[in-house]
Amino acid sequence: MSTDYDDTSTDDDVEMTVTSLDAHDPIMQIHDARVTYDMDRGESRVLDDVHLELEREEIIGVVGESGSGKSMLASAMLDSVPDPGQLAGQIRYNPEDRDQIDLLSLSKEELRQVRWEDISMVFQGAMSSFNPVLSVKAHFKETLETHDHNVKEGMERARELLSDLYLQPDRVLNSYPHELSGGMRQRALLALSVVLEPDVLVMDEPTAALDLLMQRSILMLMEELQESYDLTMLFITHDLPLVASLADRMAIMYAFQLVEIGPTRALLDKAAHPYTRALLNSTPNLDAPLDEMQSIEGASPDPVNVPDGCSYHPRCPFAEEKCIESEPEYFLPETDHGVACFNWREAKERMSLNHLQARDDSGEQVRDTDDERGGEN
Amino acid sequence: MVNYYIKRTGQMVVTLYAVVTIAFGLVRFLPGGPATALRAQLMQDDVPSEVIAQRIELYLSVNPDAPLLDQYISYMSNIFLNGSLGKSVFIQRQTPVTEILAEALPWTLFIVISSIILFHIMAVVIGALMAYWEGSLFDTVNSAIAIVFTSIPFYVLAIVLVWILGYEMSLFPVGNRYGDAIDPGLSVTYILDVIYHGALPIASMVITQYGVRALSFRGNSIQILGEDFVRVARLRGLSDSRIALWYVGRNAILPLYTGFLLSLGWLLGGTVILEEIFNYPGIGLKFIEALEVRDYPVIMGVFIMITVALVVGIYIADLTYGKIDPRIETGDQSEAF
Repeated sequence: MSTDYDDTSTDDDVEMTVTSLDAHDPIMQIHDARVTYDMDRGESRVLDDVHLELEREEIIGVVGESGSGKSMLASAMLDSVPDPGQLAGQIRYNPEDRDQIDLLSLSKEELRQVRWEDISMVFQGAMSSFNPVLSVKAHFKETLETHDHNVKEGMERARELLSDLYLQPDRVLNSYPHELSGGMRQRALLALSVVLEPDVLVMDEPTAALDLLMQRSILMLMEELQESYDLTMLFITHDLPLVASLADRMAIMYAFQLVEIGPTRALLDKAAHPYTRALLNSTPNLDAPLDEMQSIEGASPDPVNVPDGCSYHPRCPFAEEKCIESEPEYFLPETDHGVACFNWREAKERMSLNHLQARDDSGEQVRDTDDERGGEN
Repeated sequence: MVNYYIKRTGQMVVTLYAVVTIAFGLVRFLPGGPATALRAQLMQDDVPSEVIAQRIELYLSVNPDAPLLDQYISYMSNIFLNGSLGKSVFIQRQTPVTEILAEALPWTLFIVISSIILFHIMAVVIGALMAYWEGSLFDTVNSAIAIVFTSIPFYVLAIVLVWILGYEMSLFPVGNRYGDAIDPGLSVTYILDVIYHGALPIASMVITQYGVRALSFRGNSIQILGEDFVRVARLRGLSDSRIALWYVGRNAILPLYTGFLLSLGWLLGGTVILEEIFNYPGIGLKFIEALEVRDYPVIMGVFIMITVALVVGIYIADLTYGKIDPRIETGDQSEAF
């Protein structure tokens, strides 16, 4: 198991620079992004020095459990962290035809222009993203108007988008939000978010609260959208298998930090962080019987009181002294695959991945031996 | 949909019919009812006894000696077919009640409608500012003021106003619709004088009524400010004024709408006391006058009219609510009551 990857770090666990994880042609660069809230009981850090670069026209999936800071990352990318949160660090956007834009130094008006027009967002609650007293058409129109777009052309584009999303444009546009089903509303919101032809689309759990079939079809629609409109997408979800089918790269978020990032395939098959591996093993799978599914013991930390060192150490089976003493930088199992864990090698060797077994093995006896192999360590 | 309108209209007609029937019942069965009172009065006035029954029928639209069913039929047909509420017995002898009401009603409506519009505007403006500056000194102070004013009954405030501003300081008139020296007409001085005379009654309604609505508008607004669609609207770059008006205001005002229409009926009832305090000649004052001398046809007329106003208010609220809030299909579930 430990021989099927390129080992670029030395035996002394040399800390590599993170630059090799960066994009060649980054459309967005998020460096040391940090979001803090002052609370009575201390400073709550809900995004902790996140470093992420988005390659132009890629789809990147960000996965993490509830309360791990995923939505904060999404908000930070539009500099729209809910009050009274403080966003620090650097968020830069590189348009193809203009100079680099530093989002955090923009005036209110400049920011207003960048949002939705260049960097757009689909919200967690599509159900409540529309004003209930305005028709869907009014939402499109006012968006086009405020951004000084030609309304007629824009509405034409909106119609096209809606029919690309398998909706009847006229019916949807003339409806009020409550007259549409959840899936229709979600797709209408998707159309609304790209009607100004943005370059980057940030999606914060866009399929939450939809049934599985609708989730699948929306994912497929997003893939089509991405191709036909050359979008760069950041897809946030807690549903790992969902995003795995869509994303080019994935990033795993734990306790307000990105603990592992890499190409989707590498992350699924060669996950190196103990948390990622545990997350993969806790994922419901039709092939895996219930008793093989493992939950992760413990709870994710409180943002006011994140553990010293590696924030996963209280729940980590491989935790040792240095995990408590210092915070791990990224190690690179592969040049494009980074993991913030001192003991990633050990984790890879000693934590088996259920889904690989389910795929590789057939028959019960093999699964039995797998159990032994997983359990004896 | 059309069915609903027909059904709702039918309901209203039935309600009105029931109201008038109850009014008739009250007239008939109150101890020392109007017929008896009238008979005694007429006998005191030495009216020949054969004329008395005739007079009573003339005044009350009812022949007291006829069987109850006949009385009921003639009373109802008088109201619904002739639009007649009978004639005043004492306060304006022989004048049809409808005429008395028609003369007094505009003045009462002036007081009531001005009050309703004013306190709703105040409620929305102050409530919106309180929500915008939630938790600020402005918010706290205004909440306190609103609660204090709301807990004062309007007639208590009215007495205080008429006593201090009217009698003690002589800043405002303490009666009448306009000054003696003013010629009625569409002149500025006349209109200003009408407003001047109506100021205190309107003020006592507005001050005691705006508070509860301001607080409720504040609450609605704060709740809506936290909605996702407001956040999305900001991200979409919509202007602050559009968000304030079309996103927050438009949604926060919905619960106030039914109350707006219902307050018409409620305040019309309130004017009975209000006009008495301010000696303001509207239907309320007529009602009191009639009450003092037991002028039953007038009493019943005012009673029926106030009830009708309330029933019609609810009717309009029901029919139009679906237009105000698209989520509410105008239908059975959306009725105000």
